[in-house]
Amino acid sequence: MEFHLDGRSGVAPYLQLIHQVRQGLRLGVLEEGDQLPTVKEVAAGLAINPNTVLKAYRELEYQGLVAARPGIGTFVTGKLGGASLAAHAPLRRDLRRWLTKARRAGLDDESIEALFQSTFRSAAEEDIA
Amino acid sequence: MSAVIETQGLGKRYQRKWALSDCTLSIPAGHVVGLVGPNGAGKSTLMNLAVGLLAPTAGTIEVLGRPPAAGAALARVGYLAQDAPVYRALSVADHLKLGARLNPDWDAGLARSRVERLGLDPHQKAGTLSGGQRAQLALTLAAAKRPQLLILDEPVASLDPLARREFLQDLMESTAEHELSVVLSSHLIGDLERVCDYLIVLVGSKVRVTGTVEELLATHHLLTGQRRDPDSLPAGLAVVSASHTDKQTTLLVRTGGQVFDPTWIVSEVTLEDLVLAYMSQAVGQAGRRNHHLEVHQ
Amino acid sequence: MTWLTWRQFRAQAITAVVALAAFAILLGVTGPHLASMYASSGVPGCRATCTDRATSFLGVVTGVYTLVYTLGIAAVVLAPALIGIFWGAPLITREIETGTFRLAWTQTITRGRWLASKLALPGLAAMVVTEGFSLMYSWWAAPITEAARLAPGANFPVGMGPFSLLAFDAHGIVPLGYAAFAFTLGVTTGTFVRRPLPTMAITLAVFAVVQVAMPLGIRPHLFSPVHSTVSVAQRFSGQESVSGDTFTLTPDYIFGQPGAWVLASHAVNAAGQPATVMPAACVGPDSGNSLACLASHGIEVAVTYQPVSRYWAFQWTETAIFLALALALAGLCFWRLSRRLS
Repeated sequence: MEFHLDGRSGVAPYLQLIHQVRQGLRLGVLEEGDQLPTVKEVAAGLAINPNTVLKAYRELEYQGLVAARPGIGTFVTGKLGGASLAAHAPLRRDLRRWLTKARRAGLDDESIEALFQSTFRSAAEEDIA
Repeated sequence: MSAVIETQGLGKRYQRKWALSDCTLSIPAGHVVGLVGPNGAGKSTLMNLAVGLLAPTAGTIEVLGRPPAAGAALARVGYLAQDAPVYRALSVADHLKLGARLNPDWDAGLARSRVERLGLDPHQKAGTLSGGQRAQLALTLAAAKRPQLLILDEPVASLDPLARREFLQDLMESTAEHELSVVLSSHLIGDLERVCDYLIVLVGSKVRVTGTVEELLATHHLLTGQRRDPDSLPAGLAVVSASHTDKQTTLLVRTGGQVFDPTWIVSEVTLEDLVLAYMSQAVGQAGRRNHHLEVHQ
Repeated sequence: MTWLTWRQFRAQAITAVVALAAFAILLGVTGPHLASMYASSGVPGCRATCTDRATSFLGVVTGVYTLVYTLGIAAVVLAPALIGIFWGAPLITREIETGTFRLAWTQTITRGRWLASKLALPGLAAMVVTEGFSLMYSWWAAPITEAARLAPGANFPVGMGPFSLLAFDAHGIVPLGYAAFAFTLGVTTGTFVRRPLPTMAITLAVFAVVQVAMPLGIRPHLFSPVHSTVSVAQRFSGQESVSGDTFTLTPDYIFGQPGAWVLASHAVNAAGQPATVMPAACVGPDSGNSLACLASHGIEVAVTYQPVSRYWAFQWTETAIFLALALALAGLCFWRLSRRLS
């Protein structure tokens, strides 16, 4: 599992790390029992504060996806529900309907994306806080 | 956690000018602290005071619970001066020997393995090292004495981007491995954004704002709205900086809680915005003082 | 810390050893022949006509020997100044200039301990090296010194007589006092001036002033001089200068007090009052031996001098003064650094 950071995305680093772990689980790069890179490795690799990595790992533990074993490391314990995106047909339909509504309201592509991004981000932060 | 550096009304004056004034700080342990401010703001002065290279003109300072430069305090503080001074005629190995002889808690194994990993030739004279290598050697000297606190004065200012990256990677690794507290200064917030989780903004010899990065980003917001007088804002909002166009006013404010006024669009700030806002606030205050002087003439 | 001091001092130490070796070779090459010339001059262990033999020996000491004699004195007298400039002045100023004091003073060693080590090793070396030059030189010049003692009026360039200006500074133990003083002067000046070149200039200037002021102003008064009168009848060696009907008498040395340091002299009449006017009978071309004429009128020379028996008292006292100055400067240096310059 290799992390990377986008310094210009406006997304906090610890959130990016969480996101990448979840992506990893979703894509099958990470499986149950795998060890995540140590805090030291990630901090050194990305030149970021170790507390940032700790925060991300703690949040993942809170989400039930990993477990920290003191002195040994942090290991993947959970699965992310919904292995295949194709399995979410109802969600896809709802989304289609919403997109149609948005277009009828006069929103162009950029506005739709902006609306989605800001709502998504504020909802994500509210969840974590 | 106890404070690694505690100051009370600390000040340093050179002849007529105060390089640092009225500085009251309590820097908590376990953080990588960024000390940001323009050149001449007093960052180096504060650091020199913390390692006992300067004596205060006013106020007090304690590092790890003791006044600086008492022998025991020096053992637990690692210091890297600006431009990483080294003895040009001494080799890399000589510098390690220097560290070993002058520090009782010297970790020779750590020093050796670092030098190896960094690819430094032990027999090379320090004067022929590149800027990045000198900084790495100086960091090795500071870290191998196994300190609790590292104080680094503009460590990456004169390094090229690759050397800067490698230095910060190395620093983060050491911080993680040895659970160090770190205070590093820079005049560029960009250098510090990724590595710091605590910030001190120092402008015009005074501390303007301090706090964890998380806290600072949560309590500062950018307000955009119709052009208006900043004094008409609701209470509880402190305006840090304001800019106006014909139709629009943009304010960077500090607040205890949420901003509920619907006439403003509230957005997040970046650390860079925050630091720049405090810098311009200081310049504005100084400008008003100067204007005051002119009027009285 | 001793290791670090040595490592930083290494190049200067090597230079000193090379200089000492070169000096030793120069003296070693010329010394034995000088000694054999002396041995065959009849001066050693002579019972009679010593003065004449010594004078003729000194007459053959020419060419390369005079050169080495002069160079040697110059080397021993200059050594402390060079040490002050090249060992003392850069000690702290280089650290300040290159910023390495920020590295040295933030290790786990107190500034006092650092300074003590930085003063002790080079300071000791300064004293040993300078005294080494002096002892080698004294050994080489012994024949000349001995001959000069026996023939005080002989004409020989530079530094005759143990108390003469340069000879006193070059022989004995005062060189080590000068070295200690010059070294600590350089270091302490550096803590005030902070930049290497101005420190070197000021150190040299102050040292030069002291080295001139000491023999002219202070040394003569370290012990109260002896007052006495010298006859001009016989065995007077000195200058007589006559102008119109005034005269002055300046003795080169005092008979019976070889090697004495004449501080002042003036002619006196029989009543003991200063005499500057020639008695009428002695004026004119047919007055005969001028000195004999003066003597018959009761003219003598009153001299103020330091006898040669006090030579070592002077040496020890002056060395002690300079060592005390060096210690005081070192103390000032510690005080200055403890106030934490930036």
